[in-house]
Amino acid sequence: MPDATILVGAVAYDPKAVTIWEGIREHFRDQGVGMDFVLFSNYERQVESLLEGKIDIAWNTPLAHVRVRRRTGGKSVSLGMRDSDRDFRARLLVRKGSGIRSLKDLPGKTLAVGSRDSTQARILPLHFLRKEGVELDRLKLLAFDTDVGKHGDTGTSELEVLKALHDGRADAGTVGDLIWVIEQAAGHVDAARIEALWTTPGFDHCMFDAPPGADPGKCERFTRALMSMSWENPKHRRVLELEGLKQWMPPREEGYASLDEALDREEKR
Amino acid sequence: MTQDMMAAVAIDGGDLPLGGGLLALVRPALSLLQPGGQLAILSSDPAVREDLSTWCKVERHAYLGSELLEGGRLRHRVARGPLGVPESLGPGAPDRADPSTGFAPLGARVEPGGPAYPFTLLERDRVMPPEVKELYEQAVSSQWNAARDIPWAAIRPLPEALERALGQIMTFLAENELSALYVPSNFLPKIHPAFAATAMFLATQLNDEARHIEVFLRRARAPGVSSVTTSQSLLSLLLLGDFTEAAFLLSVLGEGTFLDLLKYIERFAPDEPTALLVQKARADETRHVHFGMSHVRHALSHDATLFGRLEAAVRRRAATMSSAAGVPAPIADALTILAAGGTDPRGVRRGHEAFRELLEMMHVNRVKRLETAGFTPDQAKTLSDLHTPNFM
Repeated sequence: MPDATILVGAVAYDPKAVTIWEGIREHFRDQGVGMDFVLFSNYERQVESLLEGKIDIAWNTPLAHVRVRRRTGGKSVSLGMRDSDRDFRARLLVRKGSGIRSLKDLPGKTLAVGSRDSTQARILPLHFLRKEGVELDRLKLLAFDTDVGKHGDTGTSELEVLKALHDGRADAGTVGDLIWVIEQAAGHVDAARIEALWTTPGFDHCMFDAPPGADPGKCERFTRALMSMSWENPKHRRVLELEGLKQWMPPREEGYASLDEALDREEKR
Repeated sequence: MTQDMMAAVAIDGGDLPLGGGLLALVRPALSLLQPGGQLAILSSDPAVREDLSTWCKVERHAYLGSELLEGGRLRHRVARGPLGVPESLGPGAPDRADPSTGFAPLGARVEPGGPAYPFTLLERDRVMPPEVKELYEQAVSSQWNAARDIPWAAIRPLPEALERALGQIMTFLAENELSALYVPSNFLPKIHPAFAATAMFLATQLNDEARHIEVFLRRARAPGVSSVTTSQSLLSLLLLGDFTEAAFLLSVLGEGTFLDLLKYIERFAPDEPTALLVQKARADETRHVHFGMSHVRHALSHDATLFGRLEAAVRRRAATMSSAAGVPAPIADALTILAAGGTDPRGVRRGHEAFRELLEMMHVNRVKRLETAGFTPDQAKTLSDLHTPNFM
């Protein structure tokens, strides 16, 4: 008889991943749903493990999600996302006094960007800038390739971008709107030195993925238990706060089209 | 009515960026609204449109859009989201307090979802007698200073036997007051802050005990003995787990009995400073007894089963006292010598009589206090007889 326990993979981008997943596992147990988790150190190995059937479900970044979609010909099963994963945007920030008033002023300037596998701090902002007609070859890229393999989860490269703007090493920089607003709300941004110039179109972020042909019973139990977490429940709230959401949402695919397009272009190069 | 007019509250954000001060205006304004209530924000910073909508997403408020005003300014509209809406605790102490309101003071607005605190004294009738605020006021206005308010310089050496007796008495008093400092401290962190009035009264009581310990030890020129009977008696107080039982045993029975003891010491005090310091300590102890009495009386009037539990507590405690020999010998002898004024046999006979009268007086007054608390005369007599020979 196959094991009824649902095995979920997640990447340990921070020690709090243990707290989060133990909290979710406890909630699943309260719901009568057997679940255990495996922590990976990078999304590449997690995706391989998912496609090899070693885990039932993977908690994936947008990059990992789109790779799973592409590798499975769109037959993978998307199970759910955070409310905060919807309508993500990236911001182009500029240092005041850099002389950049519009995207046309970018050539010749230094643009700080996040890790090469960060959707929000590098892949998509550069993709959208290119679509706006910005010739990226004419910019000096100051890249912060920190925590590669974790797809920007740690936010360290975005903080590096902000730091480079603050101390004048960069004229412009790209970060996700979430970290931009959170850093502002926390009082960490000097509004006299940095301002937002431009915003990318929206895109979606993380997703729970199951491989093609996944056990429908497991998928159903997983989403049912997941969606029953509530912000107003103190036990749930602690986990939800750590994971950065207020409510789990059903999946949707349209928010990944731009990333898919950006990966197409990568492959053609 | 147009949607636009529905924004009941409007703020002028000037040219403040979101992270440059605007949130300090937006957040407090939103916190005054009910979920769904709308806030209009005027701003001339063009980045605010994107930043505000992302911030609303993070905080689960709804960004409803913006309109261009004359002069290029934007008027943004935000509806307060449904999450994290604080609930008002109300101005008065509740019948039963909620452990998840933590240290939020009465009257505060508390966000939902906070952790539960390990407070276990949650019922007003068991924690906060109606007189507590008045007693706190009294305590605050009756504080005195051990160094300044006693004329220490007027103390002269006493004949050796009397000095030793007084040293024994003062050592005994300090030992008992140390227990009176520690026992309420056990319960203070268990009191829900909705009943902070009681915690604050206990704080004055602890301060009183500290001052008493200071003056008693200062007056003890010859150190006395700490007896096993005293030690057993005070340990049985320290180990009490129930606040009302502790108030009953410590304040009603123990400190109540101490009032008679202090009056006796004052009466036979060998000098004015000693009489004064004991008199001042007794004034404080009277307040502690008053609080203990009102606590127990109030609790008993709301829960008749408490009579049996308090009686059982007295019996349990009596069972832990191994010695049936009565008042610890060092303190019994010292009180006799004090009343005798020395070691002359005729004086000692009088001192012995006075000491026997003291024990009788303690019993009579304990019975009165127990009856006032609501016990029957028979119950009161039994409980008084079972009370520790250590007085406290």
